[in-house]
Amino acid sequence: MEHFRQSDVRYSGDRSGCIKWPGWYGAQHYLMPEFRALLSSDSEMAQRIRSYDWADTPLGSPQSWPQSLRSALSICLNSSFPAAIYWGPELRLLYNDAWRFIPGPRHPDALGKPGKEVWQDIWHVIEPQLRSVFATSQGFVTQEQMLPMQRFGKLEETYWDYSFTPIAGEDGQVAGIFNQGQEITDRVLTERCNGLMLTLSDRLRALETPGVILKTGLEIAGPKAGVDSLFFGDALLDEDMPVKVNASWSVSAASPITGTLPLALFGDDALHALRRGENFAIEDIAENPRDCRSEAHALLADLGARAVLLSPIVQNDTCVSVLAAAHNAPRQWTSHDHDLFRSIVGRLWHERSRARDGMALKESERRHRLIFEQARDIIFTADLDQRISACNPAAAEAIGLPADQIIGRSIGDFVPEHEFDKTTAMLQQKLSEGGMTRYEVSVTTASGRIRQWDVNSALTIDVDGRPIGLHAVARDVTEQRAFDERQQLLINELNHRVKNTLALVQGLALQSFRKDRTVAESQQIFQARLAMLAAGHDLLTREKWEGATIAALVADATAAYADPVGRILAGGDSVLLAPKAAISLGMALHELGTNAAKHGALSTPEGKVAISWTLSSDRKFSFLWQESGGPIATSPTRQGFGLRMIERALASDLDGHISIDFEPSGIICQITATLPELQ
Amino acid sequence: MSDQETLDGLRILLIEDEVVIAMTAEDMLEEIGCTVSAQASSFNEAMGCALEGDFDFALLDINLNGVMSLPIAQKLREAGKPFIFTTGYGSVGIDREFSDVTVVTKPYTIRTLSNAIQAARTGAVN
Repeated sequence: MEHFRQSDVRYSGDRSGCIKWPGWYGAQHYLMPEFRALLSSDSEMAQRIRSYDWADTPLGSPQSWPQSLRSALSICLNSSFPAAIYWGPELRLLYNDAWRFIPGPRHPDALGKPGKEVWQDIWHVIEPQLRSVFATSQGFVTQEQMLPMQRFGKLEETYWDYSFTPIAGEDGQVAGIFNQGQEITDRVLTERCNGLMLTLSDRLRALETPGVILKTGLEIAGPKAGVDSLFFGDALLDEDMPVKVNASWSVSAASPITGTLPLALFGDDALHALRRGENFAIEDIAENPRDCRSEAHALLADLGARAVLLSPIVQNDTCVSVLAAAHNAPRQWTSHDHDLFRSIVGRLWHERSRARDGMALKESERRHRLIFEQARDIIFTADLDQRISACNPAAAEAIGLPADQIIGRSIGDFVPEHEFDKTTAMLQQKLSEGGMTRYEVSVTTASGRIRQWDVNSALTIDVDGRPIGLHAVARDVTEQRAFDERQQLLINELNHRVKNTLALVQGLALQSFRKDRTVAESQQIFQARLAMLAAGHDLLTREKWEGATIAALVADATAAYADPVGRILAGGDSVLLAPKAAISLGMALHELGTNAAKHGALSTPEGKVAISWTLSSDRKFSFLWQESGGPIATSPTRQGFGLRMIERALASDLDGHISIDFEPSGIICQITATLPELQ
Repeated sequence: MSDQETLDGLRILLIEDEVVIAMTAEDMLEEIGCTVSAQASSFNEAMGCALEGDFDFALLDINLNGVMSLPIAQKLREAGKPFIFTTGYGSVGIDREFSDVTVVTKPYTIRTLSNAIQAARTGAVN
């Protein structure tokens, strides 16, 4: 810029190049070309300075302005950065277009006014700074200076970076101050909010307990947010939107609010806003905003609060939690405040959800771990190579090895080779068809015993749905299978015996009902034989089918004829017969007894039967049935079923020799056999 | 009856461990014209009879005092002697090898027995 010299002003005679300064001290006053050029700018402030009546001010008319002011003004007006000049002892204000936004509605009246008049609200801050520049001739620079500025009817916390630079007058003394600066309120508040969020994140992330997270979060946020108390609560599903207070913080150690607060007491506007996910603010409860209920007044009075800001968390169209900030003085909540509390409540909610999920996960893990540890079923997991990755104590016990000696080994180490083929095939089936497999497999325990396992197994799937292994629940069914087998054998055997018995009954019926007998006779014989067969079974059942003693067989068969005492004399060695032999001998004894009662010794009161038996040490068995005192016995012309059966059954089942002799004294039946050792 | 005519004089090997049942079978067989030419009630006895071969047709109880009689069936088949099984088990315990052999379950009627023998002989002739 061309330098401005005093002489140029004095000797300038080119009037055509001069600008007529209206309202100045008459048409004869012309500005010097440089100064004229400066004020001829189209900028708003250049025009305003031009048209301003400076004569009434201590600055006097611009012609009288010293070079120092003119130079400074030139720089000021040409700067696109906000700049102002405080001039003279009264610090009268001149400023450029960029600066005119700074005083808000005080522009344009601020032009030419003393600083003290313009900046009443912040004068207590900047006056000492300006005075010190005057006193020391040293520039002053400040950053993030807070200035509580009254703007558009609100007292706002504003932040500024600015400098005061001394302008030396013609006498070398400070004649004015050059001010450059810009508002950084947005940046400061945003950074402050970010910083708080960062602190909250760092501190809360380390915490695990939901309650502690809320309490700590409020303690951190409260002082930084510049409020007097904070509350976090969960909204219950109800018309009145009651909120259960989970955590609170207060700048004074006043008793915190606890219990449940119906937010409806702040009015329908509050409920609607919160449900929409919007903040709701009361700047001053004393102003009685719209439809607040009297309880709201009482509540805030208790707290000592005048201003309130509610910030909700909305999930699935439902307000689930609310952060309440209370201030003990009326407060015009700024958009920064709204953003800040929205961020705080979001962070608290997020961190608490994380902790809740974590706790739920831990609890679920603990429960599953307990089931795994305590299950009596065998539980194990394996990877897709069938390498065992985990096993529970029941599995370790079943294998007979500690878990750490099982984990890492192949399933193939614990099953025979052909069974490993089976487990592999089952895995392939799961991989190709999905679902579960259930199969039985032989397992070799550490002691080499083979056990039968019933295995239920399914694929383990990762978060992307890919199979990464298998998990299986198994049960040792060795005993069960052995039992099942025995059971089946028993059922088969029972079936066999029943069928055989029915065949036997059929035989007895056919042999009993004969043409040469009356029906009554036949029935009697058949019933007697059936009773005999049943008695034989009873006897064996009493002995658990291990066999029957001859003494018992004889006693059963002759019980019907025991009266009078002494008709039947029976005695012999202790001999236990196998079941089938016992039945045969029992039937034989029955037939002999029946025959004796009908035709032989037992048909008369005098007749007697002597029954005796011996068993030698070399298992030679001898049995004798000897009748005496009865009618003379005659050999029957046709051998009846009874005698035929006796001969053949005993021959077959005792593997012995039978003789039945019809002596005149009575029937003599003799049996000799070599008995097998009974097990 | 034509059945009886064809079975007339047929010599039977009767293998049955239960004497009363054997006696009943015997009576039934005689009634339909057969002759019981040999009888056995134990495995060893039965095997002896089977080897002797003094019969045209055999009734073989599958279970002889707890011993399965399938080896005897094997011998009968080798000897080309037709036979039927008798059993209280149903068809349980019979090898697939003998799945073509008629099984008569106890207790059986005279008609069942006669038809089974008839069918087995026809099958054997064919």
